[in-house]
Amino acid sequence: MKQKILSVLLSAVVVAAMLAGCTSKTEKAATEPASESSETTEEAAAESGEVSETTESGDGTLTVWAWDKSFNIYAMEEAEKIYQKEHPDFSLNIVEVSWDDMQTTLGTILSSGDYSQLPDILLMQDFAFRKYASTYTDFFTDLTDSGIAFDEFAEGKLGMSMVDGKNYGVPFDNGAEVAVYRTDILEQAGYTIDDLTDIDWDRFIEIGKDVLDKTGYSLVSSQAGSSDIIMQMLQSAGGSIWNGDGTPGYVENETLKKCMEVYKELFDTGVMETGNNWDEYIATFTSGKTAGVINGCWILASIESAEEQSGLWAVTNMPSLPGVEGATNYSNQGGSSWGITTNCSDVELAEDFFASTFAGSVELYDTILPGAGALATWIPAADSDVYSEPQEFYGGEAVFELITDFASKVPEFDMGVYYTEANTALATAVTNVCAGGDIDSELQTAEDTVNFDMGN
Amino acid sequence: MAGNNSKKMSLNKKQNLIGWFFLAPGVIFIACLSFYPAIKALITSFKTGVGVNMTWTGLSNYIRIFEDKIFIQSIRNCFFYLIIQVPIMLILALILASILNNPRLKFRGIYRTAIFLPCATSLVAYAIIFRTLFANDGYVNLVLVKLGILDSAYNFLTHPFSAKIVIIIALIWRWTGYNMVFYLAGLQNIEYSIYEAAKIDGASPFQIFRKITVPLLKPIILMTAIMSTNGTLQLFDESVNLTKGGPANASVTMSHYIFKKAFEGVTNFGYTSAMSFVIFIMVAILAIIQMKAGDKRD
Repeated sequence: MKQKILSVLLSAVVVAAMLAGCTSKTEKAATEPASESSETTEEAAAESGEVSETTESGDGTLTVWAWDKSFNIYAMEEAEKIYQKEHPDFSLNIVEVSWDDMQTTLGTILSSGDYSQLPDILLMQDFAFRKYASTYTDFFTDLTDSGIAFDEFAEGKLGMSMVDGKNYGVPFDNGAEVAVYRTDILEQAGYTIDDLTDIDWDRFIEIGKDVLDKTGYSLVSSQAGSSDIIMQMLQSAGGSIWNGDGTPGYVENETLKKCMEVYKELFDTGVMETGNNWDEYIATFTSGKTAGVINGCWILASIESAEEQSGLWAVTNMPSLPGVEGATNYSNQGGSSWGITTNCSDVELAEDFFASTFAGSVELYDTILPGAGALATWIPAADSDVYSEPQEFYGGEAVFELITDFASKVPEFDMGVYYTEANTALATAVTNVCAGGDIDSELQTAEDTVNFDMGN
Repeated sequence: MAGNNSKKMSLNKKQNLIGWFFLAPGVIFIACLSFYPAIKALITSFKTGVGVNMTWTGLSNYIRIFEDKIFIQSIRNCFFYLIIQVPIMLILALILASILNNPRLKFRGIYRTAIFLPCATSLVAYAIIFRTLFANDGYVNLVLVKLGILDSAYNFLTHPFSAKIVIIIALIWRWTGYNMVFYLAGLQNIEYSIYEAAKIDGASPFQIFRKITVPLLKPIILMTAIMSTNGTLQLFDESVNLTKGGPANASVTMSHYIFKKAFEGVTNFGYTSAMSFVIFIMVAILAIIQMKAGDKRD
């Protein structure tokens, strides 16, 4: 009898829980579209609710996939508002899809051959753009003759979304390389930010050793088992991991070898601190072990998370590779571009939307720069006053203007279709070199690995 | 008579039908969600190409596996985990189970729960906690340095050998309790009077363990051994979250490598399917060996 009562009770609980789950879901579903549409289509209030849910063609709604609510989704929402001023019927249905999820989802959709599940527009990491665009030639719409003024974008950035000279993407955020240093610590060691501007890595290591001796701070940090900084050095010197014919070119690549040597010296001398993973990497400079950061300019958001260090940081350009012809102090890390899929319900509308927002609206960039720190790769945006405003966190430096200037000087870099494979192989080589391996033989192994990955 | 017979037949049929009716949902689900994809994957493993453009290639994917240095490294890693971790874990579980089986032990419910609790944690969560524990400025380093065992923090996760050991420690922590529960259940079926008789005859605790507990638990030990082997060869979460397969692929597992090949780079599902079937064959062979070796029926 007791058992019976218990089982009845338990099943009642289960049923109740299920019902509760259902109701809360339906409530959510009922409120969400309403609130969304009230933000987006103010005039068409009567139709609201139904409009924003449909992704069918011809009703002026485009579906967008992007991954960061406070960054790229925010930028898309602002672009939507700007476009709506002249096109009140227009609206966007922005879906948050994390990059990891997007990769697996795209893998499934694209290999099934049924593209009907694709959104109209999606955001794509630059390093993967060409992989997708050239592996699945019918994935993105060719935008070359769409009327979008591509010549107004930084050249190095534009190349990331081009295949065979055709434009498949609209560049979005800027990943121009910055070197950011703690001026208070440099001062203790007797240096200023100018001593670290326009220098090469030899000089950097020299200063780094001195700073380490005098203050105990390392001058830069990196993530163990990652080759990002090598790639950045390589790009700054106009180098490549690919031969002209698309085969991997690690061996007898003097520029790459020089990068590895610099990296090893940074590692051995202790001028460079390493973190095992991303969180530890961020902690090296926010918690005060490292006096400098060299990375794409989106890293500024992480630096600024340590509010108590406001006013102590200053931005300048990265060191250049010594003894390499064509070496510059400018590079790029990360960034993303918008693509229009071939499943887009209204390609003309999407093209016009981009032409008048991300590729034609200073107003948009004026909004998203202070709002999200989204730096433009669209060159005319840099003329805006917002860019020249001094930033208190960086001691009153007009950081955004500076970085936009850096971005225009970044050498073009061929990431290739097999960038992920190449990067992984290089990371393995770097790790082994730091553990005492021979640079030449590790580069040979890396080349063999990539060659293996490329052969089917 | 005839009518009676046909009634009997229909009753038999009816019962059969009811039986099938109950079986059907499970069978349909397993067939659709497990067998169908498995067969599809087997077919894909004989094809090659990027994305949708797949062409038949025969056995070339399988031959290619033997030239893949990183995959061979991942096989070695998995067997390293298997050979070191599984015996330690099973012996520990067995010892813990026989200690906790003692009815005179106080608070044994609490001990049992405490030891079983780790396997209620999420795989990702515990892997990340272990990563934090063994970080450069993590708790383990802090304790070792404070106790004077180490002069300065040792970076466990960036050295090939210690990274593997950290994964093994994590696995032991996570799965020992799980296996212990099977042994405890098995021990319930052993009459306690056998132990009492052995004690009266003057058997030492070790003798009791070796001569009574282990032989009587043999079928369960066999089962846990097969399950652990299977689980270790398919290890994924720990490699991904704890070490990211690093440093330089020193701790990458087969499943992790397959995942990387399938979703991170340029996808070639033909090759990755072939790799999964190699794991499948390995698990099958190991299970057969263990069953043949363990199943000595009297």
